[in-house]
Amino acid sequence: MSNKPYRLAHGGTHIDRSRKISFSFDGKQLPGFAGDTLASAVMASGAKLFGRSFKYHRPRGVVGVGSEEMNALVGVGDGARHEPNLRATQVEVFDGLQAVSQNRWPSLAFDIGAINSKFSRFLPGGFYYKTFMWPQSFWKHVYEPLIRKSAGLGRAPEGRDPDTYEHIHVHCDVLVVGGGLAGLTAAKAAAASGAKVILADENPALGGVADLTAGLIDDASLVDHARSVADQMLAAENVHVMTRSTVVGHWHHNYLMIFQRVGDHDPSILAAGSPRHRLWKVRAKQVILATGAIERPIAFANNDRPGIMLATAASAMVQRYGVAPGVNGIVFTNNDNAYLAAIDLKKAGINICVVDSRARAEGHLIEQARASGIEVSMGSVISAVEGTLGVTAAKVAAYRKGQGRVITERKIACDFIAMSGGFNPALHLWCHSGGKIKFDDALQSFRPDRHPDAIQAVGAANGTMDVATTLSEAHAAGEAAAKAALPKTKTAKFKAPEVKEPTRAPLESIWFAPATGKYNEGNKHFIDFQNDVTVADLELAQREGYESVEHTKRYTTFGMATDQGKTSNLNGLGILAEATGKSIPEIGVTTFRPPYTPFSFGSIAGVLTNNLFLPIRRTPIYQWHVDRQATFEPVGQWRRAYTYTAASEDRHGSINREILAVRHKVGLLDASTLGKIEIKGPDAAEFLDRMYTNMFSTLKVGKCRYGLMMNELGFLTDDGVTVRLGEDHFLMHTTSGGADRIAAWLEEWLQTEWTHYKVFVTPVTEQWAQFAIAGPRARNVLAKLNPDFDISHEAFPHMSFKHGKLGGYPVRVYRISFSGEQSYEVAVPANMGRGLWNAIMEAGKELGIEPYGTEALHVLRAEKGFIVIGDETDGTTTPVDVGLDGLVSKKKADFIGKRSLEQSYLKGPNRKQLVGLLTEEPTDVLPDGAYAVRAVKDKPPMDMVGQVTSSYHSPTLERSIAMALIENGRARMGETLSFPIEGGKVMRAKIVDPVFYDKEGARQNV
Amino acid sequence: MSELYRESPLAQRAAPQDLSVELREITERGMIDVRGSVADKKFMAAAKKVLGLDLPKTPRTSASWGDVKALWLSIDQWLILCAKSKVDEFVAALRSELASVHSLVVDVSDMRAVLRLEGEGVREVLLKGSSLDLLSDDYKSGTVRRMRFAEIAALLHVVEDSVFDVYVFRSYADYAWDFLLATARAPAKVKLFGRQAN
Repeated sequence: MSNKPYRLAHGGTHIDRSRKISFSFDGKQLPGFAGDTLASAVMASGAKLFGRSFKYHRPRGVVGVGSEEMNALVGVGDGARHEPNLRATQVEVFDGLQAVSQNRWPSLAFDIGAINSKFSRFLPGGFYYKTFMWPQSFWKHVYEPLIRKSAGLGRAPEGRDPDTYEHIHVHCDVLVVGGGLAGLTAAKAAAASGAKVILADENPALGGVADLTAGLIDDASLVDHARSVADQMLAAENVHVMTRSTVVGHWHHNYLMIFQRVGDHDPSILAAGSPRHRLWKVRAKQVILATGAIERPIAFANNDRPGIMLATAASAMVQRYGVAPGVNGIVFTNNDNAYLAAIDLKKAGINICVVDSRARAEGHLIEQARASGIEVSMGSVISAVEGTLGVTAAKVAAYRKGQGRVITERKIACDFIAMSGGFNPALHLWCHSGGKIKFDDALQSFRPDRHPDAIQAVGAANGTMDVATTLSEAHAAGEAAAKAALPKTKTAKFKAPEVKEPTRAPLESIWFAPATGKYNEGNKHFIDFQNDVTVADLELAQREGYESVEHTKRYTTFGMATDQGKTSNLNGLGILAEATGKSIPEIGVTTFRPPYTPFSFGSIAGVLTNNLFLPIRRTPIYQWHVDRQATFEPVGQWRRAYTYTAASEDRHGSINREILAVRHKVGLLDASTLGKIEIKGPDAAEFLDRMYTNMFSTLKVGKCRYGLMMNELGFLTDDGVTVRLGEDHFLMHTTSGGADRIAAWLEEWLQTEWTHYKVFVTPVTEQWAQFAIAGPRARNVLAKLNPDFDISHEAFPHMSFKHGKLGGYPVRVYRISFSGEQSYEVAVPANMGRGLWNAIMEAGKELGIEPYGTEALHVLRAEKGFIVIGDETDGTTTPVDVGLDGLVSKKKADFIGKRSLEQSYLKGPNRKQLVGLLTEEPTDVLPDGAYAVRAVKDKPPMDMVGQVTSSYHSPTLERSIAMALIENGRARMGETLSFPIEGGKVMRAKIVDPVFYDKEGARQNV
Repeated sequence: MSELYRESPLAQRAAPQDLSVELREITERGMIDVRGSVADKKFMAAAKKVLGLDLPKTPRTSASWGDVKALWLSIDQWLILCAKSKVDEFVAALRSELASVHSLVVDVSDMRAVLRLEGEGVREVLLKGSSLDLLSDDYKSGTVRRMRFAEIAALLHVVEDSVFDVYVFRSYADYAWDFLLATARAPAKVKLFGRQAN
């Protein structure tokens, strides 16, 4: 490998020779200039090798000039900031940049995996499918780990990402994708008509390939013209210009995402705290694609050797970065454009000759090349390349179209090859959301056809390869887009600029440049460089019957690498066309999918990480729970206190302590999460009669009633206590998780079915902090808080309601009980929740009050046999199943679910019914969900007769208790069931009544 | 009994620093949820009598009379904003005037947290959590919009050109606050459209 410095003495429009920088590549310090890409700076040092290929570990160098680069993938950054698989042509170097090559071990120049290349005849297309068929278990333990190790690209970063990311949404009239001549012209026209325009380009600066294109606009160079329009766009009030911003995808109704690299190119931006990447979610009324075209490589033998590049890339190296790709080069082309590259390379003092596969061609650029002393070989191809880590020579042979192999070759010494097989319009975004494309014979490529969205393609993206037409169609598109977005806009008269550009001879497709002998013997004609797919692989797939291009794609993996087939797609189709004798349109195309180029996971997550990963709902008492070291339990998005464990105990200890406090003294529960819905109107009572299974129209004002709610199928969906605040005014309580769902359910019935009802429904869950004061001393606690209402049992019995003042706080108090104890649920406006909570704790101190969490709550209710929707019910459980048929009205004419309960299978025998279970061994706690079986066998499957729905250790009863849904359970009282559990153990439990404690309900009634 | 202790949803959060816009919690706002039918003249008249304003009938608008504002929430629902000290009086008056009219009046002053964002660039900050077209003419002073903000439900009120109130349910106050702390950081400031540096 030559290490001769390749930086030219002059030139380089993109670099600033006064600003020297130093960066490292594979640990070696290299110099560069501000404005260099990693590709140009490394090549300036004389190096050509950037990485090893995916499958064969072949040495690879830079091929492209921007996002189409498929070979030179590098890892950038260190440790947690490492990012793999970046295109060296897009990485901007800065002082201190650290970059590494990928997929090589131990070093880039000497790579052990390259042995794959020697055995490549055993790694043909579809090799994974053929080789790793048997035995099945080898897949997971042998083949996959081997493949993962030997194939692949970069490594993942280590540790948490230290940078920040964010999203932003924006709407615009016109989004112009691509800031080259076409995009600038379209943006200018749209902006002039008053449209709000976003102009996004993936490169650091606008201008596209104006500098690599021949022509003059109004006697100014294309570059000067582009710069002038770019300045106007930056200055415009109605235009937002974005650089380093890739439009990665287009979705329905002109929804697009732009991946903006805010700080990758300059560490000082990140150090100042800027997000590293920003993901833009854009809704555009009109989209104009000015995404340009991607140059095609040519499939010749060993066309992947480092030093073989696209012609525009070779030219860009010289003009933009002042870097020579070599000293002796060959331009291999089938079109006129590459002659411009040849001329530019020659001007830079590089020895160059042209090999043109066309039999004859006449055009200004060809004339100009010949005039500048460049030797042109028409009707010729490169049939072979010598050199492994770089090019040392090429063999050139005479060729006529369709020829299968060449006979005589002559050798030309060279150290780089610039190839051009024509241009493919960049159709990716056009195709992401259903755009149709058509084959263009002149281009020998696909170009945009129809699209269901308001989207236009202009310039090279539309297959328009000359400057004059590009300008006029881009202007027309910009104007039309503005007009469509803003119908009232007036457009100024357009004077087409005067364009001078060379005439061009037509290109002639060359999908395969023949070699001597059979091309799959020692020679590889690469189509997909990144996934190492060759012409031979594609032809083999055809012979093996993979006729559909989509099958061939998956079988050979052609077009499936991170570059999404940017350079390979059409060449592959050309090969398939020649192999099958079909035309390319008959072969069809594979699907383009987002993203256009890979973008970071960080940008996808945005700020929604860590504490913002999931919205967490907090009650007004949340901080108190935190301060008391509560364990939290998720209930929907709420975090509820599960238990308050002191340093001296474990969680079982604290749960038991909390339960016994409620049974023997008094406990305080934060029940603020309970759903609360105000329901009011002349038809409110009738409405509730229809929503609940039981009767509410008979409820007296000031009283509470427990209600069951079914869905139309007759299955339980929610439960809770509803209070009659006034004649036409109710307050419904729902389960914590059901609050929003039930409010929406009530609205739905009112709005869509019973529109004649005069009922308003207003959810007020969050207006109130709500606490349960439960236990034999609950009333004593109330008494200490100076209630301004009568709290005596007679005046304020179980299932009644009062409002007034407690501790000075305005409260609603419901005497309801989910623990079976004397119990008051106190509601106070949320901002006063913490104040009242503290007052209750203070008042209850000498009565032994203890806060209790949701686990104690659950055990307390299970001791009483109270169901929990979602525990004892699973969406297929009826009120009858859980033994609450008493709450299903026989009198009401209709209510939701009534008809369904009459269905034969819901009334039939063998329904699973709610029962209690007592294990034979009192210390055995059945696992939640454990199955009861008809007969215990050595191993599953066993015939199941039901399952445990709730299971706890009850400190009150000093033994385990459980509830279960068991086939015909109520008829099987006293029967003992077997529950096989993990580890071969079988627990046995007797079926009993589900009410374990205080069966007559005396404790809540005192 | 000692004095009543009140705590707004974000009372425990420190004043934010280094943000590109001003962010604070508004704590002394009374809020009343009113339901009724616009077709019911008695209802509209009663509301006007008590609040001094015509409840807005046009979607996403608001009306105001002195310190009192009525935000349109849906075809039969409004959020009345007033001083906290006036809530009891208004609720009682509304209920009394509406005694024979189908309606529902509820004090919801504690149900939501109110986050005030103020300053140049406030729309851009909100666009980091909302897909609404906040730069369009639709969002002029007085506009009210229920929206999805970050990952939660919110109510947006354009108070002035660069003064926005975001209402979120109380339990999500910390989440919304933290989201704004993250997205309104000064170094993350975004300016949409307009003249850009060369």
